Amino acid sequence: MDIVGKRRIFLTISIVLAALSVVVLGTSGLKLGIDFTSGSTVTYQFSDSETAAADVTGALNDSGHPEAIVQALGDNQFFIRTDDLGVAGLDDVNIEILKLDQGAYALDTSTVGASVAEDTVQNAITAVIVAAIFVMIYIMYAFRSVPSSYKYAFAAAIALTHDVVIVLGIFTVLGIAINAEVNAIFIVGILTVIGYSVNDTIVIFDRIRENVTLAPGREFRTTVNISINESITRSLGTSITTITVIMAMLLFGGASLRDFLIVLLLGVLVGTYSSMFVAAQVLVLWERRSFLPWRKAAATNS
Amino acid sequence: MRRVSRKSLELLSRFRGLVLIAILVVTSVVVLAISEVSVLGFIRGGDSPLGLTLGLDLEGGTHLVYEVVPEDGREPTREDMEGVRNIIDKRVNEFGVSEASVQLLGGGVDSVANKVLVQIPGQTGASITLNFGANTVGAETLEAFFQNELGRPDATVRENENGSLTVQLDDIRAEVLDAAGNVVTENEADSWREAIIAHYPVALQVGYVVPQVDPPVISDDTAIDPVPAEDIETLPTLEEVQAAFASVGRSDADVEQVDGAEGLFSILMYGLDITSTDDDGNPILGEDQRILGALREIGSIQFTSRQGTLTQWIEGGGVQEAKAVIGSTAKLEFRYRECGDALAPSNDIPWPPDGLSPEAWDSERCTNPAYFNETATEIDPADLDDAFPEVSQGTIPRPIVTLVFNDKGADAFFEVTDRVSRQGDRLAIYLDNEELVAPGVSSGGISGGRAIIEGGSFTTERVRTIAIQLRSGALPVELELIQERNVDAVLGKDSLQKSLIAGGVGLALLLLFMIAYYKVPGLVAAIALVAYTIMLLGIFKMLPVTLTLSGAAAVILSLGFAVDANVLIAERTKEELRSGRSLLAAITAGFDRAWPSIRDGNMSTIIVAIVLFWFGDRFSTSVMQGFALTLAIGVLLSMFTAFFASRLLLRLLASTGLGNNPNLFVPVRGQSDTSDSVAGGNS
Repeated sequence: MDIVGKRRIFLTISIVLAALSVVVLGTSGLKLGIDFTSGSTVTYQFSDSETAAADVTGALNDSGHPEAIVQALGDNQFFIRTDDLGVAGLDDVNIEILKLDQGAYALDTSTVGASVAEDTVQNAITAVIVAAIFVMIYIMYAFRSVPSSYKYAFAAAIALTHDVVIVLGIFTVLGIAINAEVNAIFIVGILTVIGYSVNDTIVIFDRIRENVTLAPGREFRTTVNISINESITRSLGTSITTITVIMAMLLFGGASLRDFLIVLLLGVLVGTYSSMFVAAQVLVLWERRSFLPWRKAAATNS
Repeated sequence: MRRVSRKSLELLSRFRGLVLIAILVVTSVVVLAISEVSVLGFIRGGDSPLGLTLGLDLEGGTHLVYEVVPEDGREPTREDMEGVRNIIDKRVNEFGVSEASVQLLGGGVDSVANKVLVQIPGQTGASITLNFGANTVGAETLEAFFQNELGRPDATVRENENGSLTVQLDDIRAEVLDAAGNVVTENEADSWREAIIAHYPVALQVGYVVPQVDPPVISDDTAIDPVPAEDIETLPTLEEVQAAFASVGRSDADVEQVDGAEGLFSILMYGLDITSTDDDGNPILGEDQRILGALREIGSIQFTSRQGTLTQWIEGGGVQEAKAVIGSTAKLEFRYRECGDALAPSNDIPWPPDGLSPEAWDSERCTNPAYFNETATEIDPADLDDAFPEVSQGTIPRPIVTLVFNDKGADAFFEVTDRVSRQGDRLAIYLDNEELVAPGVSSGGISGGRAIIEGGSFTTERVRTIAIQLRSGALPVELELIQERNVDAVLGKDSLQKSLIAGGVGLALLLLFMIAYYKVPGLVAAIALVAYTIMLLGIFKMLPVTLTLSGAAAVILSLGFAVDANVLIAERTKEELRSGRSLLAAITAGFDRAWPSIRDGNMSTIIVAIVLFWFGDRFSTSVMQGFALTLAIGVLLSMFTAFFASRLLLRLLASTGLGNNPNLFVPVRGQSDTSDSVAGGNS
């Protein structure tokens, strides 16, 4: 399979997807949860199915929270999001809710103050950038036996940026479709995606490293193509098993991790794709425009 | 010969790796099987499944984040933060919150932490601590009473060291509403208290004596009414005692004369109310006091005894009370209160001022802030050695707080109280800028460094809180609650169950896929994965790692990474077989070639985990750090398992009968042309 030869197709797909993601992120943006915006969320468990979302909205209005957003979760559960309830605000809400249903109780309440939320976005971005920088440094070290190992580091960084942007883009669209909110655990998901993406990229780079050493005279693009083909069954095998586990959690696990698991699922899919079709191709592209030991062979062959 | 012996030595040394893994797996199984493990004084385990430490989202509990704000607007220093942490630690422990954790958040390399995270597991519920005195009611009896009579199956009762009992409940509803939404009961606990008082008998004993009185003096002075002799010389009869009970409305009391002991009666009654304060906290005469009064009227009492009365009833332990205790600054101040002048300062001024009557002035001059001045005193609250709740001596016992000063504090206290006494002023005691009490001192300076605070509105709960606050010291800073999360235990249990099912299904699917696709290497991977899972749980229990919902996700995700190592080894072994090596050589070479990518790939994940851990505490949530730690342990262990178990198991299986059929070591559908040509090109 001549994957390197078709790199323009793959790179175009990636650029288009990434561009679309940036557009979506720039226009509608991610739906931010209380970890980013401050406020309170409460999940109520009602004892029977007689209460409708409209009743809950009414009760919240009565308790002085007309801004409340109410969502039915099924199983007689309702998710409520309000402005910061503070220390005593929950009691007011409780009283109104109890009027609807004696047996209702709060399963999960969460309040985030404005001073916490302020820093969250900045901290999240910093964490992602710091993680990326450290991973790049590590790749430069791990690939020090190959000439210009910094190229591997940058190619991996481009691939992981590609993954993060596209996952964010898809999640934005999903956020509108399934009402998914971004919370602290979302950042965990994004960082995990980085870990997975880099892991996958490194396995392919490792093959390239090995094949470059075994046949230094071979044209670089051929070496890359051989390496991708050799790694493809492994990449698919690992992706399939990881996706199996994530799907099992999505189907059988609780609702609380749903958004996190969707991020992981997207991350594994995009990460597997980008290792073969972006990271490795960036290496080839770069090599063709530079003066390296492989360059001469490449120039004569292509 | 040499080659063979080297080979067998090699095998032996490789067996060692397997033996190591086997020992670790068996140890883990044992550790997990025993619900409570104690090693070197560290106790691990508990009631949770496999004795794992569960986070609040899986167990239920409360998570509070406070921001530390020094009063003068500066940044908190490291010392401030350590002080805050110690004080909160002490308060939380004194409060009786089990396994609560207090940690500092938000610190970086160059900045000091400015947030405190308090995690209180399983404490979304409430508790009631009560004491019957003399251990008349056992924990099991009371638990059965709560569960059967009061309809609270969630109640559990434990006995405390001092003989009191603590009832742990999911909640105490502040208001019970009827179907129409009207408030039926103001506080559920009040109705339970009444039910318990009504249900458990109180045994009283009262003994009378013939009083030793001087014989009445008969004189001409008829103003003294002589006491009839028969009234003082005989002991009260059974009828009289019964009548005394009837006179206070308790004719239901079962009064008996103790056989052979004249004047000694034992009384059994239900529902004795010993409340000494009314709903507003004002002192009142309890039923016990009224009964005692009635009994005194009919004779001279030598002794009384009482068993089985509810002597203590403290509601608390709930999140709200914990929050109140944790967040208060507990700044104690002793101020000198210079009351308004008792007499007119000069003859020209009409006195008392503002047209007050002399009586009103007498109380206003020391209680109305318009008329008094306050100044700081020499009493340093740091000299306070101890503070504890007590009950005052006297006919109506009242909750009080006893203060004990050290020598320096005692001297200052003496001087201030001496001056207060001489000037007829007050000593005002403030807690968090709120006046606790402002007593006058009537009998000169108080020496010895011991003093009590008695307040009209003090309840047993209030004095306990005050004592905890005073004892744990003053917070040097203000605390602002900036984040809070409560997870109901039911939700936690549900999440845990779902995660376990998801994990189980995920693992089972993974094993099936591996065996079906990779055959013998798949089987090896399956065994390695099971060993991996067992060891991982064993490590989690022993460290212990707090397992949260996101941590569970990390565990299941790390299964993906663990399987990756096996996939890599299997794929590489396949290639080596294709290139014509013998099975054993192919396994060795396959592993050697797979190892760098296993190592480098996992290292990058560990780097991400470290960054996540490092940044985790800036997010004022423990979600990230838990995830990072779990992921890092998972990835390291998966490398360890791949290095020892997977490779050695493959070799072991290859040296058995399975080794005669190398096809079993090649994955299904592995015959793609590129692979073959590549393998050829490489060799």
